[in-house]
Amino acid sequence: MSVELSTSGKVLRATSVSAGYDGRAIVHEIDVEATPGKVVSVVGPNGSGKSTLLKSLVGVVPVLAGTVTVGDTEITNLAPERIAMLGVGYVPQIDDVFPPLSVKENLEIGGYLLPRHDVASQIEAVLEFFPRLRTMMSRKAGKLSGGERKMLAMGRVLMLSPSVLVLDEPTANLAPLVATQLLEEYIRGFADHGSTVLLVEQRAKAALRISDWTCVLSGGRVVLSGAPRDLENNPLFVESFLGGGAARA
Amino acid sequence: MSVFLSSLGFGLISAAVLAIATVGFTMQFAVTNVLNLAYGSVMINSAFVTYYLNYHAHLNAWVAMIGGVLTGAIASYLLNRFVFTPFQRRNLPPITIVIVALGVDLCGTFGLQAIVGGSYFSYRQSLGRERHFWGMYLSTLQLIIIGICVVVMGLIHWLLKYTRLGKAMRATSANASLARNSGIRTQRVISSTWLISGALCGLAGTVFAMNTGVFEATSAQLYIVLLLAAMFLGGPGSAYGAMLGALTIGVATELSAGYFNPEYKEVIAFVVLLGMLTFRPYGLFGSEKTI
Repeated sequence: MSVELSTSGKVLRATSVSAGYDGRAIVHEIDVEATPGKVVSVVGPNGSGKSTLLKSLVGVVPVLAGTVTVGDTEITNLAPERIAMLGVGYVPQIDDVFPPLSVKENLEIGGYLLPRHDVASQIEAVLEFFPRLRTMMSRKAGKLSGGERKMLAMGRVLMLSPSVLVLDEPTANLAPLVATQLLEEYIRGFADHGSTVLLVEQRAKAALRISDWTCVLSGGRVVLSGAPRDLENNPLFVESFLGGGAARA
Repeated sequence: MSVFLSSLGFGLISAAVLAIATVGFTMQFAVTNVLNLAYGSVMINSAFVTYYLNYHAHLNAWVAMIGGVLTGAIASYLLNRFVFTPFQRRNLPPITIVIVALGVDLCGTFGLQAIVGGSYFSYRQSLGRERHFWGMYLSTLQLIIIGICVVVMGLIHWLLKYTRLGKAMRATSANASLARNSGIRTQRVISSTWLISGALCGLAGTVFAMNTGVFEATSAQLYIVLLLAAMFLGGPGSAYGAMLGALTIGVATELSAGYFNPEYKEVIAFVVLLGMLTFRPYGLFGSEKTI
């Protein structure tokens, strides 16, 4: 992988974060820390507040209490564009590309903060990482398949060589094989290249396979956290996520 | 045949004026989510600034037009800054903003009428030699207006397709939240959109007044009907759709005026629109909200 990914990831830290809409907290007093070269995953049932947590870290949902920092910089409640400028790349679960724009234009928008003369070379770097996108550069993003679209969403974020990648259910609605490739090849690859990766994932087993640390969210609170190996031996976790109906490989 | 060709000539010139106006109108809607029904009022106020620079400051009409364009840009920017944005910040439903725009339109139009009175005005400008093309009669002035339209449409295409600002406008239009997460300062993009679309509004007001020859404070009041028809025909929010919508509405209304009663031009515009929307509810280019 020769893409110019940042090899100087920064620590993303949420300390006692409560966040929600209209002054009403959906997630409560969350502590999460993601470090360079590691994948930290957040798993939990639907409605547990996983996406709200991620959105609060990237400025989309207001933080009502607590602090969020990237490296030494506090980013609590900064505007999303300021957080992007500080090297945090965010891929939402849905609406993750600009459908009316072509693949090339989506990547160009991803590199909006780059100096103009660096955009073409960075697109080339992203295409080396996601070679399938090369054949569809003029196609509108709205016409792509789910897997292609997710690759484009990731590619768009990689345009800025972010220090921190925040990914909200990147495998949602993807075929199992594509989902596995995305998680094991690409997302794990980002961390192996030095980036900090914070991932929300419904497929608990698959998330554990690529994670260095996992938090379990339920009812808006962290109910368990630990290394994947420890969680796999935790009867409560196994019952809730690996053995029960909620589990998805 | 001669009625058809001469009406077609009038249709082309009407379409040229309408295209300039509709592209600005639809850009505002796509990027800022404001259906600015005060557009016609800004148009006619801009036309009057051109008039004063032309008639009282004795500037050439084409030079005075710059004043009209600047008036449209600044007035639209200020409208957004001090009227629409404060209402939008309160998360009011879109219909509230439409009502606000309607109120601004009435204040702008009748405020102007209070100042200039109910008289008719015209620019100090020659129509130029009348030229004859395949049965169509067009004055030099009308040919220049068509030329301005072609140049403006080319510039808008270049802006949207090849410039950083244009791509940021399209991205903001498609998904403002994701645009912000990509580092785009969407508020700046929105302000730029008001300036550019406002400039188009000012230009449209001036060429509208030039084309009609004589105008008054309320001349553009029903123009919003043609604007809406052209925009929804092309697909709301689509700049290219607006160009095609303007051509269709411009030609259809003038052809109908040639064969029927010119008083019913706006009615014909809506008949065309309703017929079109029956078969394509999102207009010609309106499958996705974008410029």
